[in-house]
Amino acid sequence: MSRALGWLTALGLAAGLVLAFGVAPREEIQGNVQRIMYLHVPSVLVAYLAFAVVLVASVAYLARRSEAADRLAQASAEAGVLFTGITIASGAIWGKPTWGTWWTWDARLTSVAILFVMYLGYLLLRAMIEDRERAARYSAVLGIVAALDIPLVHFSVYWWRTLHQPPSIFKPGPSTMPPVFLVVLLVNLAAFTLLYAWFVTKRARLLRREHEVFA
Amino acid sequence: MPDNWGFVAAAYGLAALVLGGYWRYLRRREREIYSEEATSQARPVGATAPSEVSPRDSQGSGGKAAARTGKAAGR
Repeated sequence: MSRALGWLTALGLAAGLVLAFGVAPREEIQGNVQRIMYLHVPSVLVAYLAFAVVLVASVAYLARRSEAADRLAQASAEAGVLFTGITIASGAIWGKPTWGTWWTWDARLTSVAILFVMYLGYLLLRAMIEDRERAARYSAVLGIVAALDIPLVHFSVYWWRTLHQPPSIFKPGPSTMPPVFLVVLLVNLAAFTLLYAWFVTKRARLLRREHEVFA
Repeated sequence: MPDNWGFVAAAYGLAALVLGGYWRYLRRREREIYSEEATSQARPVGATAPSEVSPRDSQGSGGKAAARTGKAAGR
């Protein structure tokens, strides 16, 4: 199952790269640097998904004290931090040639930075507490509280005046993006979602083995 | 606007490094767990594995050197 998911992920990522660099046309205004979008947007959407899974798994853990839910929360938080890191880095790299700056303290960028730091804190908290049950309980609470930042990140571009553009997809009304750009973006989003699923499956299974072997 | 291929390469290269690094971390962890599992299966019943001795325990019995090398104890 995991091996098949791994191969499917590799295939999806390869297809995404071919589409992003071989099929998607050069964007008229930004030029080829716009191709960073096929990395940046899927990364942030998968990070949202990862933190939403942390939220659901944390609630499930607190309700039923299920160790599987706790392992899922930890695995998903690790993947989420990874994808948020990629979002911030690729956004900064994209921002320099288009905005003229690597970083600015506008609402979208700042709220994403806060999201990143909160889930880094989540992972640190887990690592610092030796008692597994207590670590799971405390981090479940933090996992729920930190998720409150996700809508703030997504809607910050509507609520405040920001340098960052509004969402490309998952916004009210039809997409204004030309279909070819949209298809390439969605293929990359699917590939990143598969990668996330593969990481989480593998990490959660490793955590279970880890607890069995080192308990 | 110029194409700025260097920025594109930097973004994709950095992402590949981060994702590849995490994948390698998972592979390494998997190998560690399986080798620990194999060691504990090969051990006679009732014997205590070195990794099961906590550094504090070994300090208590005078084994400070063991405490310094007991790296698996905290896992």
